[in-house]
Amino acid sequence: MMVSFFDQFASPSYLGIPLIAIAIALPWVLYPTPPARWINNRLITIQGWFINRFTNQLMLPLNVGGHKWALLLASLMIFLITINMLGLLPYTFTPTTQLSLNMGFAVPLWLATVIIGMRNQPTVALGHLLPEGTPIPLIPVLIIIETISLFIRPLALGVRLTANLTAGHLLIQLIATAVFVLLPMMPTVAILTAAVLFLLTLLEVAVAMIQAYVFVLLLSLYLQENV
Amino acid sequence: MLSRLVLVSGGLVQASRSFHQSSQSLAPVPPLPEKGGKVRHGIFPEELFTLLYPKTGVTGPYMLGTGLLLYMLSKEIYVINHETFAAASIGAVVIYGIKKFGPSVAAFADKLNEDKVAKAQEVKDQAMASLAQGIEDEKKEQWRVEGRHMLFDAKRNNVAMLLETNYRERLHMVTNEVKKRLDYQVQLQNLHRRMEQEHLVNWVEQSVIKSITPQQEKESIAKCIADLKVLAKNTQARATV
Repeated sequence: MMVSFFDQFASPSYLGIPLIAIAIALPWVLYPTPPARWINNRLITIQGWFINRFTNQLMLPLNVGGHKWALLLASLMIFLITINMLGLLPYTFTPTTQLSLNMGFAVPLWLATVIIGMRNQPTVALGHLLPEGTPIPLIPVLIIIETISLFIRPLALGVRLTANLTAGHLLIQLIATAVFVLLPMMPTVAILTAAVLFLLTLLEVAVAMIQAYVFVLLLSLYLQENV
Repeated sequence: MLSRLVLVSGGLVQASRSFHQSSQSLAPVPPLPEKGGKVRHGIFPEELFTLLYPKTGVTGPYMLGTGLLLYMLSKEIYVINHETFAAASIGAVVIYGIKKFGPSVAAFADKLNEDKVAKAQEVKDQAMASLAQGIEDEKKEQWRVEGRHMLFDAKRNNVAMLLETNYRERLHMVTNEVKKRLDYQVQLQNLHRRMEQEHLVNWVEQSVIKSITPQQEKESIAKCIADLKVLAKNTQARATV
């Protein structure tokens, strides 16, 4: 059986049971529900503090109509960050490397913002297609360009997350393989490569958190334009 | 289906909790333990070591761990491949992160809780302080009440003095007025007498002057001259002596 580097991205199934469902449901287990106590343990205190702070920050630029999205965006952020970080562990499967999952998040949410904008304030929403201060001869071209950019958004959202995570995982695998192969032959080079691997892992940790945040942030921006 | 099982079982746990709605299930709320479960090397609970200690002593668990690891490696139950190095790398990152930021994060979480408690404590302290202050003020008022009679005595004295002063002033005024009236009457009587006297004197003078005849006048003038001459002589005599 030819083992390729892309096998880690194959959706795992066991006896016909898609295990991706368990992988997606796992993050829920890791965040305990706050009990009905006034003072909690450290984990729940920090969890509550973080979620509160994050939601507050995210909702700052939005008006009151956008605050309806607070629960959705905060839970999306927690979900994406957990899945990304868990994927960095060895022998794990990262659901967000699947384009289907990311597009499944991006397209409906983006479409929801567009429809909200078109229903509640169609003039303003259409007005976004033409930036202020454009010279008159450029107007037709610019409208076409802005429309294309509008429709590219969900694609960009989904593909950005997929590509970043897939590329990161692939790189980790490749460099780890390089270390593994070089270790018997040229140990010094292997150690240097191990150092590269360490730095790459740090980068991947950062990327995992940042990409999740960027996803949610862009969605909130699209919401801000339209709500 | 496995996923549904997971979700349903999780839901069951939640559902069973929601059935206990009466107060008896919630109170008394058992207190939280102060510290989390003790662990050695970050992941192995202390209970494992205490479990193995009677039979295998202190090195028991370590021997178990090493043996298990070597067994899995030698029998190729766990194969070393590229993922091992990736695992080592991420393990290093995680351990470094926990060692470096663990205490500060724990202190931060503790501080959040402590601030909550401090706020409530402050409310309680303020309430107690204000009540204690109220007690102090009440005691002071009671002490003040005891000294009330002195205040009343002083006031009574004041009033008595005022009355006395007023009475004396009025007495003086009355005396003065009566004296003025009596003086007036005295002056009137004096005036009368004086006028009568003057009138009488005038009348006597007038009648005397009228009664002086020219003969009498000449005689009296001659007598006066004779008297004067005698006097002059006497004076001269006394001067030479």
